[in-house]
Amino acid sequence: MTELIQQIIDGLGRGGIYALLALGIAVIFGVMHLINFAHGELITVSAYSSYWLFSIGLDWWLIAPIIVVVALVTAVIIEFVAFRWVRGAPDFTMLMTSFGVHFLVQALFVMYVSANFRQFPRPEWIFATFRVGQLNLEIYDLTVIVITLLTLLATYLLLQRTMFGISLRAAAEDFDTARLMGIRSNRVIRSAFVLSGVLAGIAAVFWLMRSGQAGPTAGLSPMLKGVLAALIGGLGSLSGAVLGGFVLGLVEVLLISRLPSSIAGLTDGIVFLLIALLFVFRPQGLISVKHVERV
Amino acid sequence: MKQVLRTTLFGVIAAPLMYGSAFAGSFDIDAVLATDLNACKPAPSGSALKIGYAADFSDLGGFADKPASEAALYFVDLVNCAGGVDGVPVELVIKNIEGDPEVTQRAGKELMSAGVSAILGPPFPDFGEPLLQVTAGKVPTLFVASTEPTLAAAEAMSFLVAFDDTAQATAAAKFSLDKGWKTAVTFSSPGPYFGYNPQIFTKVFEAGGGKVIADYNFVPIEGMDFSAQVNSMAAAETPDVVYSAMLSFQSAVLKGQLDGAGVETNYLVTDAFEATGGYFTEGVEGFYHTTHSFPAEGSRVKQLADGYAAAKGAELENASFGGLAVDAIAVVIAAYQETGSMEPGTLGKAIAGLDGVAGATGSLSYSGTNGIPGKPVYVHQVVGGAPTLAATVE
Repeated sequence: MTELIQQIIDGLGRGGIYALLALGIAVIFGVMHLINFAHGELITVSAYSSYWLFSIGLDWWLIAPIIVVVALVTAVIIEFVAFRWVRGAPDFTMLMTSFGVHFLVQALFVMYVSANFRQFPRPEWIFATFRVGQLNLEIYDLTVIVITLLTLLATYLLLQRTMFGISLRAAAEDFDTARLMGIRSNRVIRSAFVLSGVLAGIAAVFWLMRSGQAGPTAGLSPMLKGVLAALIGGLGSLSGAVLGGFVLGLVEVLLISRLPSSIAGLTDGIVFLLIALLFVFRPQGLISVKHVERV
Repeated sequence: MKQVLRTTLFGVIAAPLMYGSAFAGSFDIDAVLATDLNACKPAPSGSALKIGYAADFSDLGGFADKPASEAALYFVDLVNCAGGVDGVPVELVIKNIEGDPEVTQRAGKELMSAGVSAILGPPFPDFGEPLLQVTAGKVPTLFVASTEPTLAAAEAMSFLVAFDDTAQATAAAKFSLDKGWKTAVTFSSPGPYFGYNPQIFTKVFEAGGGKVIADYNFVPIEGMDFSAQVNSMAAAETPDVVYSAMLSFQSAVLKGQLDGAGVETNYLVTDAFEATGGYFTEGVEGFYHTTHSFPAEGSRVKQLADGYAAAKGAELENASFGGLAVDAIAVVIAAYQETGSMEPGTLGKAIAGLDGVAGATGSLSYSGTNGIPGKPVYVHQVVGGAPTLAATVE
């Protein structure tokens, strides 16, 4: 039982970051019907920014909020430079645009920075643990869980209690009708990218605190996890994205812990198989969202 | 008797003249590395010994091929500045394969069309294999930074420049046994490098009396959370050493989490550690890793790195890969000097029989091998944030 509780805490810590990433992806999907494969580039840019900020002598207390701002600004720039021009285009065009941004950013870092990984320091407490009974708890995991829950609460309040949130939800429900009701599309979409950038920035802080490295593909894995979590939760569902993130984190940790070592290499394969099975029984993901088709 | 003597004398005197004095000469790598680019000898003339480099500058292989190609260009400049190879200039033609098998094949064809005598290849077999399909045993191919044993085949004129993973993991196991470590835990991922090295380590370590008490799976490059594996290790017997082919920043996370869980052990990793940051990584103090050279004072690798920094005004990003690129060029030059021919097929056959070629990382011998040079494996330990030589395993 202790072992299971330990694994659940580990899974929630891992899943918290996935939830933040998935929520950012779900927000964009809600207003644009776009699965944003360029979402990971917010992490990549944040990673290189962290490297640079460390090289000029800043520490994590200053760098953490700057990373959030960097991710926010990057998200807005990507929207302005790339997605604005394909708005209203078929979903496939937007999907290809997001792939384009993803590969372009990677290539720019390879060409103008380095293909090599750049290292920067991790916070001193990052691997610190404490014991509660037989449980070995990482301060990092608990910090991730608490900050994630606070961020999710703030996002919930923002979406439920503010005009911005109402506009965003209305646009997510039926973008064209929302526009007819007087909601300004530019502002809503830009705001969605701002929110998505902030969420990615917070995820980036935790991701980078642990990895301590910047590389051209630094954002690839977080992006894939975020997309997977959003798919599990049900594309377009904000609460589903959060649920999907935690479920993905838990499943990964449980599989790594429970699978015999002879087949542990199949962990990722089994995760995808489970997701495929989920879609057989619930094609809409864990939480379904009604979408109005644009015709 | 007179006739024999006359013929022999004719051979000794005339042959160098017939072959442009090529194969009679010697190539002094130390003198070349010491060459001052600001005081060059008269420029060599005539047909150049052309060497191609199908280099991967993408995010996949760029960590190796970028520093390797920079060092290769610098070394070719030095060779030409020193008067070339017995008066013959050396030319390096680089094509970027962009981490793509099709681009690799196109680059290979273009290099062959450009008339190169040999091709230097990328680090990963995903691109090395497509390159070999194009060269098809017609042009010798030397894989600069690859340790993948399946790429080597002397018959197909395909050669490694570094030791292979079998040698690397065997050296790691022997080193562990020499240290008196009896138990090990490995971290692996199915596949060539991340799976093969732990597999060979286990085989040799256990054959030598050690015991691998567990093998944990991990996701190479991406995995940044080892909580599940660490909790399992914390609940079991503490091993004397943890062996893996993890990248440096992943190794640091694993050590941090194991330290946090109170598991104190030794860490031994492969050359991927150095390739991805190595001792610059925070939290890897005490780590052991296998690699291709040790930049001791007075060594050729150190001379290469220092010379490059002085000439270019910037550090060579990775001296080991730079050294391996120099090794590859030295091998092609040695084969040229042996045969006096720039014809790829002749050079390829000569490479397969070379012995004791002086390279930057050590001496390379291909004779009697299947294209994998017998080279020492260096084991470094990170002490005070810098590499120290812990052992040289022959």
